[in-house]
Amino acid sequence: MKRRVPLSSRPFPADEQLPAPPRPAGRVLDARLHLLDRQVHDVDETPVVVVDDLEVRGTDGDEHPTGAQEAVVTALLSGPVLGTRVFGGRPPATRWHRIAWSDVTEVGVVVRLGVRGDALDVTWTERWVRDHVVGRIPGGRHDPG
Amino acid sequence: MILGDLLDAHVRDDQGRRLGYVVDVRLVLDRPASGLLAVPRVHGLLVSPRTSSSFLGYERRDVRAPALLARWLRRRHRGTFLVLWPDVERLGDDEVVLRTGYRRWSPVLDA
Repeated sequence: MKRRVPLSSRPFPADEQLPAPPRPAGRVLDARLHLLDRQVHDVDETPVVVVDDLEVRGTDGDEHPTGAQEAVVTALLSGPVLGTRVFGGRPPATRWHRIAWSDVTEVGVVVRLGVRGDALDVTWTERWVRDHVVGRIPGGRHDPG
Repeated sequence: MILGDLLDAHVRDDQGRRLGYVVDVRLVLDRPASGLLAVPRVHGLLVSPRTSSSFLGYERRDVRAPALLARWLRRRHRGTFLVLWPDVERLGDDEVVLRTGYRRWSPVLDA
């Protein structure tokens, strides 16, 4: 849903020239611009999933950090977000699949992982279909070549 | 917390005045790595008077083309600012409240 705050109702002018923020030491990313909806490739360059959301925790493990404590990204999340993006809300926590940030090796046009996609929970449906459906079709258990 | 819970949330100051919406979350890869890549820390929130069309990021980068689109989107999102994470007082249901004396910074990525 599109929403806006009239510029005239804000307590400062819209065209004010703002100072540059303190320059942090590390690489700067904007979550929506550089991470969300990016394709995730595994160590063999096989597309695994896309980044639907990110898990954020306080450095002390707090699930709901505020500005009083440092917050870090702990995992990439993937889940059934099509319906919730159209109608609002978010999938229940049990439907999210996590990929720990420690598995991420590079953030660029795609997000690269240092592990094989087969080892991730997020690909369980593909493995299930391979083993229980495709594998039972005659010729389904070997390379067609 | 899921980052998506923050996106598009209302942003208010400590007096309840509406400042805009969270259109993005700025991260900095500067925390000790648990794998090969540094861990991203939440650096701040980008607050715009509008929720839509900011995903293209024209108001945050020095991209000028296509000229008409760039000018239109930059105008739609004028007044966008960055507020640093320590200035966030409280996260409520679809609402972010900033602490007294919060500071606004330029949203430009390479500033």
